[in-house]
Amino acid sequence: MRAHLALLGWLATVPASTPARAAAQQPTDSRRAIESLQFPPLRFSPPMPKRVKLSNGVPVYLLPDKTLPILQLFVVSKAGVAHVPDSLWGVGWHADEIIRSGGTTRLSPDSVDKLLDFYAIQFQLNTENEQSRAFVSGLSRYRDEMLELTFDLLRNPRNDTSRIRILAAQQEENWRRRNDQPFSVIARAWNQVMLGDHPLGRTLATPAEIAGFTPQRFRWVEERIFCPENLLIGVTGDFDERPLIAKLESLFRGWERCKAGLRELPPLHFAQGPPVVLVEKDFNQTSIRMGHAGGLKVANTPDYFASAVAEFLLGGGGGFSSRLLQRVRSDSGFAYSVFSFWEATPKREGQFAAGAQVRAEKTVAALKLMRQIVGSMATEPVTAKDVKLAQDNRVNSFVFQFENAGQIISQQLSYAVNGLPPNWFEVYLQGIQRVTPEQVTDVAQRYLHPERLVTVVVGKPSAFDKSLSEYGPVTALSVDSIKR
Amino acid sequence: MRTLPLAGLALLVPLATSVPLHAQESPGEKLPVVTHVLPNGMTFLLLRREGAPTVAFVTHFRAGGVDEWTGISGTAHLFEHMLFKGTRTIGTKNYDAEQALFPRIDAAADSVTAEFRKGALTDSAQLKRLRDRLKQLEDSARQYTVSNELWRILTENGAQNLNASTGNDLTNYFFSLPANRAKLWFVLESDRIRNPVLREFYSEREVVMEERRLSIETQPFGMLYEQFVATAFQAHPYGRPVVGVASEIQAVNRHAALEYYHRFYAPNNAVVAIVGDIAVDSMKAWASQYFADIPAGEPHRPVVTQEPPQRGERRIEVQFDASPIVMIGYHVPSAQHADAPALAVLSQILTGGRTSRLYQRLVIRDRVATAIGSFMAPGQLYPREFAFQGVPIAPHTTREIEQALYGELERIQREPPSPFELQRVRNQIDASSYQRLQSNLGLAFQLSSSEALWSDWRRTFHDQGTQARVTAADVQRVAKTYFERTNRTVATLVRPAAAADQKGGNE
Repeated sequence: MRAHLALLGWLATVPASTPARAAAQQPTDSRRAIESLQFPPLRFSPPMPKRVKLSNGVPVYLLPDKTLPILQLFVVSKAGVAHVPDSLWGVGWHADEIIRSGGTTRLSPDSVDKLLDFYAIQFQLNTENEQSRAFVSGLSRYRDEMLELTFDLLRNPRNDTSRIRILAAQQEENWRRRNDQPFSVIARAWNQVMLGDHPLGRTLATPAEIAGFTPQRFRWVEERIFCPENLLIGVTGDFDERPLIAKLESLFRGWERCKAGLRELPPLHFAQGPPVVLVEKDFNQTSIRMGHAGGLKVANTPDYFASAVAEFLLGGGGGFSSRLLQRVRSDSGFAYSVFSFWEATPKREGQFAAGAQVRAEKTVAALKLMRQIVGSMATEPVTAKDVKLAQDNRVNSFVFQFENAGQIISQQLSYAVNGLPPNWFEVYLQGIQRVTPEQVTDVAQRYLHPERLVTVVVGKPSAFDKSLSEYGPVTALSVDSIKR
Repeated sequence: MRTLPLAGLALLVPLATSVPLHAQESPGEKLPVVTHVLPNGMTFLLLRREGAPTVAFVTHFRAGGVDEWTGISGTAHLFEHMLFKGTRTIGTKNYDAEQALFPRIDAAADSVTAEFRKGALTDSAQLKRLRDRLKQLEDSARQYTVSNELWRILTENGAQNLNASTGNDLTNYFFSLPANRAKLWFVLESDRIRNPVLREFYSEREVVMEERRLSIETQPFGMLYEQFVATAFQAHPYGRPVVGVASEIQAVNRHAALEYYHRFYAPNNAVVAIVGDIAVDSMKAWASQYFADIPAGEPHRPVVTQEPPQRGERRIEVQFDASPIVMIGYHVPSAQHADAPALAVLSQILTGGRTSRLYQRLVIRDRVATAIGSFMAPGQLYPREFAFQGVPIAPHTTREIEQALYGELERIQREPPSPFELQRVRNQIDASSYQRLQSNLGLAFQLSSSEALWSDWRRTFHDQGTQARVTAADVQRVAKTYFERTNRTVATLVRPAAAADQKGGNE
């Protein structure tokens, strides 16, 4: 089944004519020239991966592309570090590195390093909070080496103690360096204020956790995250289906079922205050983060799509066409970096937050301006033109979701892990196109609350334009009392 | 409601054939790139590729930080920001009225600069008054401005990866479009190259100061690197920060930025690569239609200054409230020198992966560093630094990193790389020679930068073939030639004593 997508650009209001110009000094009116452009319809049916199931039930997404002699392998686990008990969070967070570096029951750590380097295999593994992912890429002539090494590492990690000692020393050093950069300080302070002890607010292992790195504890986590029922596989590039599937079957053979012991994601409780937290640190630029609970899940609902358009126009995908960048950066010159995000997944609500790094002497002015802009989404309605901008952007750029096979496969894997349908992008585009300006104002009124924003500021108060208390009642948090 | 057929479709049959690897010829060299040069010297590299209907556009100008003159550092970069501010017809409601205000705004800016330059004698109340006045005047011009209109037009049309960057040698501008909208690039890009209007100039100058603070002044690596290159290059402009010296960013005016533009933004200094689902003939026709009547300018002249030979090791400390880091560098020739391929292989032998000599020694064996890396900087066109960066694990010191590193640099002068090490590097080159062909945008970057630097789009691909032919003896020879103590610069980040005391001297 092949349908054609006809996406028309600006319809002509002025006859198309672009005569060659004689004099460079006489500029043509580009705005008019653009209005007169007529774009042919874009015909494109993105290739979709084939989905097959191995005999043990593991789904495999296949999208061959023999343009280049490269093979890409994706392994996704539905389990993440937030699903292991709190006492093992640090172990889980660094299990990715020990799987990569700690050898296998068959191969010493040095042998693994040699094989991966010699065959020029990129092996990237990330144990994240809500899922875990491996991406492996290399020359397709080393297909078997790639697959065998990847599965050996995931199935049979040795957790060699000499490599655990190296990892522990590296992480202790990272801990010592945790306050060296503004980004690390604001991110950790923000997480502590907003999420307390919840695993989703954690990005760094503490010395006590590092002291608990042992082969047995790593093994406990590894065999619960990487086990057949949790896994989805994706393969793109230069391969033939039958031998590949046969190889995957053999690599999975005898791999035991997942062991019990993982938990559901603990319930999320976003902070209600204190309203303003100051972390004093001698940086000549102030880091700001303000936000509150986002209140929405990713879902096929009018509210979710309206929130996506609101985010675009406030400080997300709209870039310089968003209110935050326009007013804080372009109009005021207060910051180079200013942004917002309204985070969510299909399984849980996330947070809404805005942030910036601003000139110290404009700290309070910038805070007030940013809070006012967040509030403006409810009080100064977005226009039909604004909403159309967000819609046109999403519709016209849809092809970039499908630029290459790897992108398509990772999109499908992500939908599957998150419980979204395979055609979610189509549903999303249709949902976005139904959004009205009134709906955007409405979700802003119901979900964005400038008076309830929790704000964290990292910087040097003596350099600020005014006392921070002019923005709100201040609670101090010393750098050393950021626990994680 | 239009429907989007995104699910349940048959697999697309792969159309392009794979490019066979001939012995030691990089697959990129065989790409069917069409070179189209306009009479004014502007060069277009056109490459049609099968796949999704997208097109990547990358323009490189032979203009960068090294082309700035004394007192205007950062102007190349600030001008890059200004090219997003629009033209005489994009970004404005009334260009004439807007432009009529510029002389008064510029005069107010120059008054700010004059007060600022008094240094110790600056009257801070007066400075604030002058700054407020500048802001007020520039804001008054905003009544005629349609701020960020260029961005809005491109956003509306689904442009992706819209950005630009400024380096020492080159400045680039890029974005991708859905293939059916390719013509939009010609309209917008020809207009902004020809008719840039430097509106909102002084507020953007403030934005750039914040960019400097974000990327350098609040960053241990940023601060150390800036001081490291300033020490290694005493004559050549590679020693200056591309983002600019703070006091110069605060003083540069619209006139200087325009002067920079007029000197360097001629079509004969521009190379455009267009890669993706394109009709090559249409691209040629539109290139002529939109760009051919821009008059040629002065060709770019390379920097005259040569860094004199270094006469002895240089060592500096940079005080910063952070744990120590060390950078160690050696002067090496430019990327076009005959030794460059062997140097590239040498860097792979030393730091390319976990089996590399320095990772094995510093991280695995001696356990003195969390990480060790190498890089070539600050550019490609002129002689540069082969630099290492090491992060010690307390209580080990940067001195221990230095000692272990020098030990390994001496060893490679004695013990050439083994056949295993060389083959490992060759396999890595082989894999990357394909991986680098994967994205339209990445490919467009390589084509246009290679052409802008070396007047040959094949050059960066060809270099990979050359690297694959490098022998153990070549590697050993360049290690001996350049890794000499007298040719070395060492920069160490150290915590100021007061801050260290507060920390209990423990970290």
